Amino acid sequence: MLTYNKPTTVDEAVILLQQPQHAARALAGGTDLLVELRSGRLAAQGIVDLKRIPELRALRAEQDGFRIGAAVSGAELGEHATLKAMWPGVVEAANLIGSTQIQGRASLGGNLCNASPAADSVPALIAAGARCTVAGPGGRREVPVESIVTGPGKTSLVSGEFVVDFVLPAQAARGGDAYLRFIPRTEMDIAVVGVAVNLTLDAAGVCTTARVAVGAVAPTARLVDAAGAALVGTTVDETALNALMAAVRAACAPINDKRGTIEFRTHVAGVLAGRAAKIALDRARSRA
Amino acid sequence: MGRYPAGSPGWRDKVTGQANYGADFSLPGMITGRVLRSPHAHARIVSIDTTEAGKLAGVRAVVTAADFPDLPSEVVAGGESPVNYRYISCNAIARDKVLYEGHAVAAVAAISAGVAEQALKLIRVEYEVLPHVIDVRDAMRDDAPLLHDNLYTEGVDPKPTKPSNIAKRTEFLLGDPAAGFAESEIILERSYTTQPVHQGYIEPHACVASVAADGMTTVWSSSQGQFMVREFCAKLLKIADSDIRVLPAEIGGGFGGKTTVYLEPLAIALSRKSGRPVKMVMSREEVFKASGPTSGGVLQVKLGARRDGTLVAAECELAYQAGAFPGSPAIPGCMTAFACYDIPNARTVGYDVVSNRPKCAAYRAPGAPMAAFAVESALDELALELGMDPVELRLKNAAKEGTRALYGPKMPVIGFVETLEAARAHAHYNTPLKANQGRGIASGFWFNIGGQSSAAVHINEDGTAEVVTGNPDIGGSRASMAIMAAEVLGIDYAKVKPLIGDTASVGYCFLTGGSRVTFATGKAVVEAANDVVQQLRARAAKIWKCEVDEVIWKDGVAHPAQGQTDTRTQLSLAEIAASAARTGGPISGKASLNVGGAGPGFGTHLCDVEVDPETGRVTVLRYTVIQDVGRAIHPGYVEGQMQGGAAQGIGWALNEEYVYDDQGRLQNSGFLDYRMPVASDLPMIDAVLVEVPNPAHPFGVRGVGEVPIVPPLAAVANAVARASGVRVNDLPISPPRLLAALMK
Amino acid sequence: MATVLLQPEFARRNTAGQRLVEVDADTCQALIERMDERFPGFADAIATGVAVAIDGQIYPDPLQQDLRPDSEVCFLPALEGG
Repeated sequence: MLTYNKPTTVDEAVILLQQPQHAARALAGGTDLLVELRSGRLAAQGIVDLKRIPELRALRAEQDGFRIGAAVSGAELGEHATLKAMWPGVVEAANLIGSTQIQGRASLGGNLCNASPAADSVPALIAAGARCTVAGPGGRREVPVESIVTGPGKTSLVSGEFVVDFVLPAQAARGGDAYLRFIPRTEMDIAVVGVAVNLTLDAAGVCTTARVAVGAVAPTARLVDAAGAALVGTTVDETALNALMAAVRAACAPINDKRGTIEFRTHVAGVLAGRAAKIALDRARSRA
Repeated sequence: MGRYPAGSPGWRDKVTGQANYGADFSLPGMITGRVLRSPHAHARIVSIDTTEAGKLAGVRAVVTAADFPDLPSEVVAGGESPVNYRYISCNAIARDKVLYEGHAVAAVAAISAGVAEQALKLIRVEYEVLPHVIDVRDAMRDDAPLLHDNLYTEGVDPKPTKPSNIAKRTEFLLGDPAAGFAESEIILERSYTTQPVHQGYIEPHACVASVAADGMTTVWSSSQGQFMVREFCAKLLKIADSDIRVLPAEIGGGFGGKTTVYLEPLAIALSRKSGRPVKMVMSREEVFKASGPTSGGVLQVKLGARRDGTLVAAECELAYQAGAFPGSPAIPGCMTAFACYDIPNARTVGYDVVSNRPKCAAYRAPGAPMAAFAVESALDELALELGMDPVELRLKNAAKEGTRALYGPKMPVIGFVETLEAARAHAHYNTPLKANQGRGIASGFWFNIGGQSSAAVHINEDGTAEVVTGNPDIGGSRASMAIMAAEVLGIDYAKVKPLIGDTASVGYCFLTGGSRVTFATGKAVVEAANDVVQQLRARAAKIWKCEVDEVIWKDGVAHPAQGQTDTRTQLSLAEIAASAARTGGPISGKASLNVGGAGPGFGTHLCDVEVDPETGRVTVLRYTVIQDVGRAIHPGYVEGQMQGGAAQGIGWALNEEYVYDDQGRLQNSGFLDYRMPVASDLPMIDAVLVEVPNPAHPFGVRGVGEVPIVPPLAAVANAVARASGVRVNDLPISPPRLLAALMK
Repeated sequence: MATVLLQPEFARRNTAGQRLVEVDADTCQALIERMDERFPGFADAIATGVAVAIDGQIYPDPLQQDLRPDSEVCFLPALEGG
């Protein structure tokens, strides 16, 4: 028998998620969880539906950026004009998940906590420097997005903990981000490789900061410091892009599976990094 | 043909979700059946203990192979071609051995799906796991694990004394290939491989079976032939045909994959044991693991030509994997390989090979697309080597009426040359390409079949009519039946209601397959409608007190024959129908035929792609299907067939494949990782209808449903080769494979 | 005289290797009877799974068809499809 609860406060949810007899799973959009339950791949005694908690459904501009509830849907992100203008890469990544129907449900919180190495929104959030609020028995803590997922299907969250919301900083005046993924089809697919680039320029067009994150090429999405460093201090010219591509490829540790080979993923990660960097560069320039 | 609306009868129900597919049917007291499937690719079943499952509350019946007759392994007549019912039985439920992961081992019927699934977990099966073999080349080796201890290669002399995974060798020969190659000025020899691909119908297999206390069995199921379901279930369960009635559901795609039975015999056995109606529906995972894809193959092609492009000799050797039981389409592969061309010296050799995969099933033009991939790819290379336009090379060698086919007969009236000429003249063929883009062309052939069909046309009191046939409407055939009947009767299409009868309400019809329905069943409809017209004339003659010869039927109205100079008014069909009771009773026509003279079909496809040289990703930019359709009864549905075949062929070429782990377990049994194209992957596919009427059909119909899947594999491959400069002869041309080739 | 054309494999098994046989028959049924007289077992060999092509047209039921004096008759595997 499966119990289903829909708490309306964070505290209530924390208590429900801790009850051992329920072995409960947190439900946001359910686009991964329900599929796994139905197929029998996952056995849970309980579901704690977080969508009734107002904080998790709120999306608001704050002084220093945006606060996005963990259960806000991809479709809602896509319709938020100012968010999209500031963080086009994050929104595009979130909007790549599933179909139009799935977009009505799929959330950033679910995409992160499902802990798939191929989650589209995660590299984009990491590149953007997003942090998330984790609520749990010990109260609340704010941590970088990249600290949540520890391996395929595994997170650093302890019993009773869940992600309440994401905090996206304000994008720099001359900043731009982009996310690209590779799939053999055009939609309805899972990333074989995903790369996000977020960079800022100075008035002279020299890159001052850059964060590059990769997905589907390692057990978790990864922030590639060396790749960001390859761009900083350059005008993001061919030489810098080649260094970026090499750094990204060096950071890849993919597997051979039904979706791609090690060689393919590693090579394409570099290609996408170069392409994403060019898009981010154009965006940074056009925002200036 | 007259005017008629674009949609098919029943389209509104399909669009609104009201249509009743296989899984939509329910009966009072109905329970749910589930199947226990093998986790192993190859194992001996040491024992099955169902005691605990049977004891679980809510479980009403458990069956294993022991509940089915142990049929002899023999080839008998069935449908249109020979069948070994033991293989079908052992595929539906494993006897002694499991031969692939997902092979059915037992089935349970319970009051709910949940209870049934719980019960499956209580069935204890002891397996002795055996070495397995997946790849067709590995399966052909002398030291390969043997699937069947009693399978000896047919078609080789002397008869082998050692069993083998090669079920059959077949050879076709025309002229003297050795002499032909000796006089060739250029010889090209290449190897190719293709992967098994699933038909990918959206509707999973589904049925309801109900066995009454007197043994009368009723089955509702989604299949390509209610008579096929009846025939197969009767043989598998040793029931008289007359004790089974099969009612066809609306069908959500089949493409050949629903020309056999999987669940129906299990549901009948469960219903018989439980005394309750039993519904069974496969999950998508079960569809992938336990229903038939078409074969993958290994092919070698050798072409010999003169410098002017004249083909002098050709050879093709192909090995097709049948899956767990013999029956790959190696023979039609051999027969179709060179059928597009007039080649005086040719030989094809085919091998039918079993391996530890699900038993293959028919898929649109079974066996032909793989052979065409090899031959049409080789021809493209030949054109490049000769510096010839690929359409010109094909035109120079194109089969025409009177060309002798490798498989024996001379071609009847065909329209292959016309498709090539239409391709050459098409704007698509003459549009410039940009960097990294390429244009591929390929042609294809399929026989199309006729066969046994029945039809009845009933005239109602109000002058409307019903056309009853026995073929599930898989591609809009109901509309075609109504159009042809309306045309013969001379009444409005809207007044003709096409219906698909169950096995007890219409004469025998071979299944919907082989592109036969509009041709063969359509011919039966035309004859049944003509029978009605004869009766209508006779009734008019009776009313007018004249001879039948003095009555002409035209535009739905009885007219006095020319030269009859009297004042008799005309009689409409509605008027004759209204007075039928007084002129001899109901007016009803029928026809039951075994139809020959199916017109061979030819198509030529044009495909433009763009290759991303950095990722190996292929984008199909433009696609044109040109086909001789004989005569299109419902052009919209004919175009739909052409577009659908092309879409499936493009998926076959680019991304579709079965991925197995080292234990022989399928890794991608879902649409997420079994990558069929989605709508956004394809351009609008242009369909050009070439009409060279088939003289053997009253309206000139040729089958159209299968030809369009034959050329796309090579059309795509040729386009990729011309776009990238790299030729990939192993399908699918997936990004990792193409990128690896590009980086070599 | 109708001409019967056979594939080599079939001929090896059923007609002592003869791939081209002239037969005097005006129906396909008669032709099969003549062939069976000359090559005992021929009728059985084509009883299941075999279609006939007469002057280029393929028929699923060999017994029904009439022949012209110069007809060409091929026996080939019965075809199905998807």
